[in-house]
Amino acid sequence: MSDAEGVTGQVIELRLPSRLGYERIAMDTAAALARRMGLADERIDALRTAIGEAVTNAIEHGNQADAAMKVVVVLTVRPAELIICVSDQGRRALALEQTKTQPRIADAFQRADKGGWGIWLMRELMDEVEFTLAPGGGNQVRMVVHLERSPVGDQ
Amino acid sequence: MLEDELTVNIRHRDGVAIIDLIGDVTTFAEEKINGAYRQVTARGDRFILLNFRQNDYINSAGIAILIGIVTEVNQNGQKLAVSGLSPHFQKIFRMVGLAQYAEIYQTEEDALSAFRRLGAVE
Repeated sequence: MSDAEGVTGQVIELRLPSRLGYERIAMDTAAALARRMGLADERIDALRTAIGEAVTNAIEHGNQADAAMKVVVVLTVRPAELIICVSDQGRRALALEQTKTQPRIADAFQRADKGGWGIWLMRELMDEVEFTLAPGGGNQVRMVVHLERSPVGDQ
Repeated sequence: MLEDELTVNIRHRDGVAIIDLIGDVTTFAEEKINGAYRQVTARGDRFILLNFRQNDYINSAGIAILIGIVTEVNQNGQKLAVSGLSPHFQKIFRMVGLAQYAEIYQTEEDALSAFRRLGAVE
C-alpha cells in the first residue's frame, strides 16, 4: 500500500470507546490514509483537527463520556475524495441549531463557557460537512475532503 | 495512555514571563495552563509569552482555555504573545480571532525582540 491506488475503494471502520484521548486514534488513522492518498500536509492537518473535533463531540456530548458506548468512525476512500463518517449512540441528540453556530471571540470573552468552536472549525476546515441521524439513532456527521486543492491561491 | 500529559514550564527572560507548553493543549491542560498564568500574574509580570512546540495537538477545548487566558490578560492590562505554533495552528488562531489579542511570532527570540520594543526590560 504505497500509493493512492492501493487504498482507493477501501473502507476502514474504527470502533472507539467513549473516552477522551481516543480521538487521537481516529486522527492518526485518517492522517495516515490521507497521506497515502497524496493530500498536502496542510490538508492533512485540517483533517486531523476536524476529525478530532467530530470524535470529541461524539464522546463528550453524543455518548456523554460513557466509555461503554462506542464512537464509530468510517473512512471511505474514493478516487477523488476521502469521506469521514463519525457516529455516536445518541445518548444526547445534537440540536440542529448547534451545528450552524458562528462563534465570535468577543462574545466568548463575556461568557463563562468560552467553548463552542468545534463544529465551526469542522465546517471551516472540511470541504463538506453534514449532520444527520445515524442508522442506529445516534448523531452522525459526514465530512468530505476533496483530493483536488479547492481553495484558490492556497498553494 | 491517551491522556497525554502537558508539561508547563515557567521561565523569565528580558522582563518577559515565558510559559512553555510542551505537549497537548486539550481539556486536560486547563489546570496547568491557568495555574501557570496565575503564578506569573501573582508575581506582577506584565509581558507574557506562551511558547508552544510545533505540531502538538491543540483542540477546541484548548482554544477555549486560551480564550480564558486572553480574557484575563485584557482585564489585567498585560500583554500576551505566542510563539512556536505550526502553520496550521497559526491559521486556526487567526480564524478564531486569538491572533488579534495575542501577537503570533515564529520563535521565542522574535517575540522577545517585539516585547523589548514595547518596553519589557532586562
